[in-house]
Amino acid sequence: MDLSFTAEHEKFRTEVRAWIADNLKQTWSDALRDPNNGEHELIEVRRAWQRARYKAGYLGMSFPKEWGGRGATGVEEAILAEELARADAPEHVNFLGIGLCAPALIHHGSEEQRRRFIPPMLAGDEIWCQGFSEPGAGSDLASLRTKAELDGDSFILNGQKCWTTFGPWADWVFVLARTDPNDRYGGISFILCDLKSEGIDMRPLKQITGESEFGEVFFENVRVPKENLVGEVGEGWKIAMTVLGYERGAGTMSTAAHLGNGLRNLVKTAKELGLDDVGTRRKLGKLVVDWQTLYSNGLRTLANMADGKAPGPESSIEKLFWSEFDQRLRETALELLGAGGQLSRFYSGARPDVDWPRDFLWSRAETIFSGSSEIQRNIIAKRVLGLPQA
Amino acid sequence: MRFELSEDQTLLKDATTSFFASESPIETSREVSEADGEGFSRGQWKKLAELGYLGLIAAESAGGAGLGAIELSVVLQQAGRVCFPGPLLDVVLATRALTAAGGQDETITQIAAGEKIVVLAQSDRVWPDDIGGATFADGHVKGSKVFVPFAASADALLVTTDAGLVLAEGPFACEPMPTVDEAQRFARVEFDNAATLIGDNTLVEGVWELAHVGAAALALGVCEAAGEATIRYSTERETFGKPIGVYQVLQHRMADMVLRTESSRAIVFRAAWSLDNGAADRGLVAVSAKQYAVESANEITLASVQIHGGNGFTWEYNVHRWLKLAMTLDHHYGARNDLLERALEQVEAQ
Ligand SMILES: Cc1cc2nc3c(=O)[nH]c(=O)nc-3n(C[C@H](O)[C@H](O)[C@H](O)COP(=O)(O)OP(=O)(O)OC[C@H]3O[C@@H](n4cnc5c(N)ncnc54)[C@H](O)[C@@H]3O)c2cc1C
Repeated sequence: MDLSFTAEHEKFRTEVRAWIADNLKQTWSDALRDPNNGEHELIEVRRAWQRARYKAGYLGMSFPKEWGGRGATGVEEAILAEELARADAPEHVNFLGIGLCAPALIHHGSEEQRRRFIPPMLAGDEIWCQGFSEPGAGSDLASLRTKAELDGDSFILNGQKCWTTFGPWADWVFVLARTDPNDRYGGISFILCDLKSEGIDMRPLKQITGESEFGEVFFENVRVPKENLVGEVGEGWKIAMTVLGYERGAGTMSTAAHLGNGLRNLVKTAKELGLDDVGTRRKLGKLVVDWQTLYSNGLRTLANMADGKAPGPESSIEKLFWSEFDQRLRETALELLGAGGQLSRFYSGARPDVDWPRDFLWSRAETIFSGSSEIQRNIIAKRVLGLPQA
Repeated sequence: MRFELSEDQTLLKDATTSFFASESPIETSREVSEADGEGFSRGQWKKLAELGYLGLIAAESAGGAGLGAIELSVVLQQAGRVCFPGPLLDVVLATRALTAAGGQDETITQIAAGEKIVVLAQSDRVWPDDIGGATFADGHVKGSKVFVPFAASADALLVTTDAGLVLAEGPFACEPMPTVDEAQRFARVEFDNAATLIGDNTLVEGVWELAHVGAAALALGVCEAAGEATIRYSTERETFGKPIGVYQVLQHRMADMVLRTESSRAIVFRAAWSLDNGAADRGLVAVSAKQYAVESANEITLASVQIHGGNGFTWEYNVHRWLKLAMTLDHHYGARNDLLERALEQVEAQ
């Protein structure tokens, strides 16, 4: 066993930390609290931060050099993500593009597609969204019905996608569309679609937080050039599964750092408010224990990755752990802070460090998206335990 | 970076797995611990000594193997799986305290050889106000200690007193303290024994981190074994013409067993590695590992009772053995509520 970072890794961490200190002018919490920042301005805050990172070489670092990366290892990616989270830096604006679409292109796309799409994705010039879910196809994604029919040199898209994160700000969408109604898995294709195309109607969808970070997209006879197909016709499901593997496995270390900030804020707030009875202290202590366990899970995955081991069932375990931990953290916060904890961040007397009600509400999404908790438990029961299926 | 055990550690793991599986499968452990008497087998104890388990972390110069917390965790994980009876972790902790005290190689050598059983007697309370406590003067220890593990079998005890840590020579006046776990042999000891002062009481605090990790490793073994037994049962037991393992409510409880077991494994071995490598946050990680793994062992064994149905409530089935070990670990080697407080203090101090 060796869970230590090498001297080179530590040097990289020091570099990253110094760069963040020099370049991050406003934490994400402060940006959120700034009354001049509406949803649109916040997107621009994130875009500007993304550009700064891209220029400095701190974005898509593990991509091959020709795609703007530096061929960095997963360990360096994890260190970067951890430092960014610790500094409370904004998330960049293209995490769906860079996190999901770019890997699909690198592993399954054509040379032209990589050249055309990856650089502007990294630069923040084109924002991407993920068009997988439909009103009738979420957990049961393979029952999706949005159709793509070949007509000469183009596909004609018809159908609807929903809960599309960043849809209202996106320039492009990567779509799973049905190319064969009779083949459940083999009849799905992975297609890149310009959201400025004729026949597209993107409508913001308001979330329980009051924000409209996601939207719904309607496709009516939308013409997409055939070159925008990734892989072959009918390979969409296979590609999506590799890509979702990335989504599910990515970044437990940075999640742990991010949730560590939330936990420290809660500990500090409780102290300042004189909430020091034994029951409260035990609840907080339990969160600390779970947070350390979450971090340990991330460290194991990282060490296994550095050791060249293929990821196993850890991704389902980690997704369950961090999403449910975040819910316990936010539930505990609201329980301890009482009526004051429900105050909006815009109230002058709200505590300056966090937005408790928004963080609470947001945590409810985490056990739904990227494979709900129920689906993750089904996966473990079937693939890890091999339990008999009904 | 690497999470996997080294080659040597893997060899130790394989040898230990087959030793415990053949020497003391849970059925054998049960026979030994449920019989009247010492609660462990002197024959097995000799074998532990011969295989080097008792002196695992003691220096080679004191008859030990000179290994660390990772190896100890590998061994205790297997011991936990079979609920191995006897004060294995306790004597290992005693060797650590004696090593820290210095000048105690002779006693350590005897412990490692299985010739002497020495454990810590450090608990002064049953309830918050029920203070026992021991005093030391003129080469003599007086007073009482509670929850001393396997005290009736001990040749000597390491006792915390007003003057510091003393090594008291047996035999001891013991009153058994039966608990929920029939495999334990706790006792209240009334001291009137010859003793020597070997250092101050902080020696015991120094052993605490290792105690946390060791108990967490035992708990990890409980998680694994109780989980596996439950999953096996769920594929064999049929209701309404189907194995109960097809029912999703049960599948999800068993998926949670995997979640907790694998997460326990991650933090237990991180904690062991952190101790062996003197990591700055090792105190926080050790406390968290103990708390998380033991809480998990309790959750998993309780779910296991439920999934075994009526059989789960019978003495005959093994489930209650794992449950009761998990319950014991919850309040020994660092009690739950103290650990929660300690974990919070560490974050407050950051
Ligand atoms: C904030 C947010 C952002 C999102 N962003 C995107 C995005 O960018 N792109 C995109 O494509 N999608 C996105 N989604 C959609 C998300 O992927 C789906 O909501 C998710 O897959 C669940 O599908 P569903 O909503 O149809 O729920 P359903 O599948 O209808 O599930 C309803 C309930 O039933 C449970 N359930 C379903 N099947 C089973 C089963 N077999 N066993 C047990 N329980 C079951 C579920 O766990 C859930 O509790 C987003 C969702 C949210 C909340």
